[in-house]
Amino acid sequence: MLKINNLHAVVGDREILRGINLEVNAGEVHAIMGPNGSGKSTLASVLAGSDRYEVTEGTVTYNGKNLLDMSIEERACEGLFLGFQYPVEIPGVSMANFLRHAVDEQRKCRGEEPLSAAEFLKMMREKAKIVEIENKLTNRAVNEGFSGGEKKRNEIFQMAMLEPKLAILDETDSGLDIDALRIVATGVTKLKRPDNATIVITHYQRLLDYIVPDFVHVLYDGRIIKTAGKELAMELEEKGYDWLIKEYR
Amino acid sequence: MKTIENKLTDLYLYNTDLINEGLPSFIKNNRREALEAFNILGLPDTGNEKYKYSNIKSRYGLHNYEKYFSVTDSCCEDVCKLPVESYEINIINGFCISGLTVLSDGVVYGSLKEASNQYPELVESGYNKIADNKNDSVSALNTMFVQDGAFIYIPKGVSAQLPISIVNCYNAIENIYIFARNLIIIEENSSLKLIIDSHTIGESAYMINNLTEVILGKNAFAEIVEFQKENDKSTHLNNFYASQPENSNLKVVVISTDGGFIRNNWNVNLEGGNAETHNYGLYIAGCGQSIDNYTNTEHRVADCTSFEKYKGIVACSGKGIFNGRILVEKDAQRTRAFQENHNLVLDDNSIVDSKPQLEIYADDVKCSHGATVGQLDENAVFYMRQRGISEEEAKKLQMYGFMNDIVGEVKIAGLPEIINRIAGEKIESL
Repeated sequence: MLKINNLHAVVGDREILRGINLEVNAGEVHAIMGPNGSGKSTLASVLAGSDRYEVTEGTVTYNGKNLLDMSIEERACEGLFLGFQYPVEIPGVSMANFLRHAVDEQRKCRGEEPLSAAEFLKMMREKAKIVEIENKLTNRAVNEGFSGGEKKRNEIFQMAMLEPKLAILDETDSGLDIDALRIVATGVTKLKRPDNATIVITHYQRLLDYIVPDFVHVLYDGRIIKTAGKELAMELEEKGYDWLIKEYR
Repeated sequence: MKTIENKLTDLYLYNTDLINEGLPSFIKNNRREALEAFNILGLPDTGNEKYKYSNIKSRYGLHNYEKYFSVTDSCCEDVCKLPVESYEINIINGFCISGLTVLSDGVVYGSLKEASNQYPELVESGYNKIADNKNDSVSALNTMFVQDGAFIYIPKGVSAQLPISIVNCYNAIENIYIFARNLIIIEENSSLKLIIDSHTIGESAYMINNLTEVILGKNAFAEIVEFQKENDKSTHLNNFYASQPENSNLKVVVISTDGGFIRNNWNVNLEGGNAETHNYGLYIAGCGQSIDNYTNTEHRVADCTSFEKYKGIVACSGKGIFNGRILVEKDAQRTRAFQENHNLVLDDNSIVDSKPQLEIYADDVKCSHGATVGQLDENAVFYMRQRGISEEEAKKLQMYGFMNDIVGEVKIAGLPEIINRIAGEKIESL
């Protein structure tokens, strides 16, 4: 589904990604861990198409297409979803209106008929249950005045609405209390299907108690320095990153 | 060479008989004083603090504006009218063509000229009572030249069953100079919903001088929504005056989307305890347009509240101006006055001038003001695009969101949708 080969990216004259290699197949869950400043969020942003970063080398193939050639919205229409670390507030635009636009445009570019108002509302009610989001939240402006937990739940709600093929969740667990973490993680697990894949970027092992990864990658200094099974997360929790970094050097 | 002021004075002096034709003496009698005030003040230029950002005088100098002293041509097509059920007052180039109507509940609406003949005492009780000719020469010019406009009277304890709309049609005959005047009297315990609409037929340059006086009674309520959408060579000078006694509540919302040069002066005097005033505006200035709102809210007595919020979007060398003056007089204790002005500037060639101006002489007040000038939020655009919304659509959605709270203030049924449509078309064109 996704094949990243020797990916380099810079912001200004600072190189942040220094040759990432990663392959993600349908049905898999990948966890990307690593210390602060290792490039985890940059990788997520580059894959989503943020123009803050410039790709200087390497290729990314997504479902057989050159991902780097696509616009941000084309990537979204192709089923790539980014759960933001810091979801953006959009004053004056209601969640319902925002999602209506997003769902319509994605359906349009897939050549599907737009949903009727009734179908859309029904879908919204159903999906809201997955993340135990209150219905009235959808009448409020996008993320405006949402608590930290509500913002993150809202990301998973949007993921449920848009049914992506590849979801990249950037520190969706940060700032969550135990209950919110459970709700978010359970939501992600419920959305898992054999034909979609998830990349979970996280600092902590505890999210992976709920979302069990098939692979754990450690990102350091813009490169993946270690890949292993889910047991690696446990080991990191115990020993930290230092031993890996020493090994790498 | 004659100055513009000389020309206007001559125009008045040579045509006094024509201007006064068919009007009662109380209207004529106000003209002399206005002429004197105009001669002393002259037209404002940018040296005048109140007109600092909009040069009215140079606008007058652009064309040889000519006054027509009688109704010119019919121009109002049904297609121009807003699809809202209302009692209509139809005005063409300042002359009312829909007569005067008296409803069974005593509501009177229609031609100011006819009303001043049929109900001289009633009209005289309000006419030119709050317009400030002595300090504003544009108002003085209106008092000198005006021949007609709209009159609305809501008797004690009556709520007009439908909104009333003043439909201004401007037939843009080359360089025509139009005057129109509205007098609105709302007695105690009464309420009115008023729509003031305007549109232009034709592409020529013209100038309008509009003056509206709104006199509220105790415990009276009024919501006024004004649409300003004219051709891009027009000059629209608008003076609004309202006086509010105790427990009265006034809401004014102005939606300015089209027009070459718009200058609004919103003057509201809070003169009785617990009076409350709301003043909201949305302006979208595109290519070469200039839209200037000056507000002057005077808290003259204690325990009054004022809310003010203006939002603007400018693009394509457009110019948006907001100057909000709030005066809290020495005895106006426990005043609550809140002012906000927010602007989106879509490109480097467009300009916004924002100037809050609070003058507070009382010591127990709660006042706030805030002004922002910014661009579209790139993070929000990225966020929306990540969800599949195109860049163009994301920007528009953000602009809709930006103006949403102003639209939300409009409570007249059917109007929020119309505002969204009109503003939406404007945003599309930017």
